[in-house]
Amino acid sequence: MNLDRNIAPPLLAPEKINIQEPEIQHLAGDIPVILINEGTQDVMKVELVFAAGNISGNIPLIPAATSELLDEGSAQHSSAEIAEALDYYGAYLQTECGNDHASVTLYTLSKFLDQTLPYLTEILMTPTFPEEEIATFKIQGQQKLAVSMEKVDYLARRYFIQALYGNDHPYGHFQEEKDYDLITTSALKNFHESFYLNGLLGIVVSGKFTTPEAQKVISELGKCGFTKSSVQVNLQGLPEGKGRKLVPKKDAVQSAIRIGRRLFNRSHPDYFTFSILNTVLGGYFGSRLMSNIREDKGYTYGIGSGIAPQISDGYFFISTEVGTSVREDAVREIYTEIRKLREELISEEELDLVKKYLYGSFQRSIDGPFSLAERHKTLLINNLNTKHLYLYLETLNKITPDELRQCAHQYLCEVDLFELIIGG
Amino acid sequence: MIQFERFTLDNGLTVIVHEDTSTPLVALNILYKVGARDEHPEQTGFAHLFEHLMFGGSVNIPSYDEPLQRAGADNNAFTNNDITNYYLTLPAQNLETGFWLESDRMLSLAFTEKSLEVQRNVVVEEFKQRYLNQPYGDVWLLLRPLAYKKHPYQWATIGKEVSHIENAVLDDVKAFFKKWYAPNNAILTIAGNCNLKLAKELCEKWFAGIPKAAVPNRNLPQEPVQTEQRILEVTRDVPSTQVYLAWHCCARTDDDFYATDLLSDVLSRGKSSRLYQKLVKEKKLFTDIGAYMLGDIDKSLFLIEGKLVNGITPEIAEASIYEVIEQVKSDITETELQKVKHKAEASFVFSEMSIGNKALNMAYFEMLGDVSEVNLQVERYNAVTIDDISRIAKEILRPENCSLLRYKSSK
Repeated sequence: MNLDRNIAPPLLAPEKINIQEPEIQHLAGDIPVILINEGTQDVMKVELVFAAGNISGNIPLIPAATSELLDEGSAQHSSAEIAEALDYYGAYLQTECGNDHASVTLYTLSKFLDQTLPYLTEILMTPTFPEEEIATFKIQGQQKLAVSMEKVDYLARRYFIQALYGNDHPYGHFQEEKDYDLITTSALKNFHESFYLNGLLGIVVSGKFTTPEAQKVISELGKCGFTKSSVQVNLQGLPEGKGRKLVPKKDAVQSAIRIGRRLFNRSHPDYFTFSILNTVLGGYFGSRLMSNIREDKGYTYGIGSGIAPQISDGYFFISTEVGTSVREDAVREIYTEIRKLREELISEEELDLVKKYLYGSFQRSIDGPFSLAERHKTLLINNLNTKHLYLYLETLNKITPDELRQCAHQYLCEVDLFELIIGG
Repeated sequence: MIQFERFTLDNGLTVIVHEDTSTPLVALNILYKVGARDEHPEQTGFAHLFEHLMFGGSVNIPSYDEPLQRAGADNNAFTNNDITNYYLTLPAQNLETGFWLESDRMLSLAFTEKSLEVQRNVVVEEFKQRYLNQPYGDVWLLLRPLAYKKHPYQWATIGKEVSHIENAVLDDVKAFFKKWYAPNNAILTIAGNCNLKLAKELCEKWFAGIPKAAVPNRNLPQEPVQTEQRILEVTRDVPSTQVYLAWHCCARTDDDFYATDLLSDVLSRGKSSRLYQKLVKEKKLFTDIGAYMLGDIDKSLFLIEGKLVNGITPEIAEASIYEVIEQVKSDITETELQKVKHKAEASFVFSEMSIGNKALNMAYFEMLGDVSEVNLQVERYNAVTIDDISRIAKEILRPENCSLLRYKSSK
């Protein structure tokens, strides 16, 4: 057989994507429990999402400290006993705290659900936040902070977001050493009561499980008596978030660059169009920023852009670390790529590539129970449903070069962008 | 449990197929049996630089990434001291695009000066970003040559120094390809929505015509037995002091691997583990501490690394580690053994959640000797006894077998 390797195999149009509608049950108080039962592995992930992110309460670091110390002791068991029991069954408890929400997740082999679930409910219901554990947390946290302050990528993120939101806003306030002095058992208990016990948004159960196992989770978490709440965000009086800032760092062999601006949340009518535009600019390996600044010039190991949607707004950022000697060249090339988006129409060929790439990446993002669960969690906390995902696919299908150029005109003018350089 | 079929093409390419119709996707994984240990001591960092060049276009296809992205696929690669691994996930209907691209770059690369020049710069920036411009970033650049005096594990995958990468020329690159990138030195695994018949057809069509190569027999210098403790102290402008203890231990294919791995789990897996409870929580000497083994193909390293609470001296910290080690040599309980076995089982079950990981796991175990091992891992861990773990602790966790790095804060 004579094989012509110059000819690519034909590409077939993607099949129509069907997004599995999950089963939804409710706890008392109309709290949704989303059940995603699929996959090949006998494991379960039980995630509870609370309106308990950095935005909640009014003392810095308390939301993060509550999240971090939640599993360090309950009315029934000490920190060491909880760790011992969960480790014994190969289970894993994860607590996370973001800007808007906090979540608590149990990962367990389905066969050990009966043994591990009680520890999840007790740390959620009766955490004790012992002084001893707070002391350890302070030592660990302050040291971690000191190390982070030596990392250019952390500093870049910190100063960038501070510039967009201001140090007084919970989104813009990054931890400082003195914040640790405010952590006390009573402050954490108060926060837990206000924003965990009375702030459950919903539960997502995913993995491969039986009906009785699902019912067990629902009934045990139902007994906890959570009440529902939602996140309140005040965006009044934020700084302008424009201009340039240069932060020197001694001995830096690379400069970190961040360029971006505040934008909108997932429900905004331009969200999908902007996210496609972002992909063209810096959202995948073949993006314009990667092609130009890494693959053509070799200025960096990596460059990308992204959007970070939050519950009420969001922000857009370009991020890279480049050799200090090529810093100005790299910044110039970044603005060149942004200008091209505003002034020139994207070719049909490039748009076709981006559409197909995004279609494939959407398919991957709903493959497997945990990925699908992540999608449904995002919909839940943004008060959306699967219609939103179909709307995205439809937008992707219909988007035109002209719409993308208009979008760039509206949101990517240089005067509206903030530029930050750390090091060099 | 992964069901699989294995076959070998006439040119020596081993292929393993795991069909999973619950997904609309297929993962391809191509593992080349070449890593940083196969480099010349004066040309280190080459296997990894080469991985970058594999994305610079192949003999018949000018761009690797563009057609792949147009197929709706995603891909990446990694290099370590033993292997170079490429993986991609495609929608099932465009699977053939993956075969077309991977087979062409196995056949030959475009080898352009431009691609080499750019990727040299990219890798130099990677060197700076990950190893030089990070607090503690150079730890492995210091620790490897301390622990290894003869074996090529003495250099990190990124290379000994930036100049080795800067000096790479096209002829070296071509020679490296010719030596190692051949069907009989690779394993292709396919996991997802693809059946055996289709896999065989596509392999025949795209890979069967690639000639085999005379892959050299590996004859690496063996590391002599270490007889006295080695200590290296450096002082850097970092916020706090860290210590790294590296003991020589067995290879991944050794029967003792599983007991050694469980020893590291007894010491540091999870918050309930010995090092964390004793030294972080009770004595408050460290803010964090961990133990793990590298699991290399040749004789490997067992590590304990700890971040010291400010004001604690390395000597006190190290002595406290050896106290915990002394105890673990004699008093592991049945409950503790059961705990680390459950942990090992859980992490294995979770590691098979994605088709990409299944494809990688299959390729990895086939590289070690036999893909069937992928389904025997939980059993292997379950067979370990308390005596096995104690014996390993006594054998390896001795100061004479240890290379110790004190990474001190100047503050």
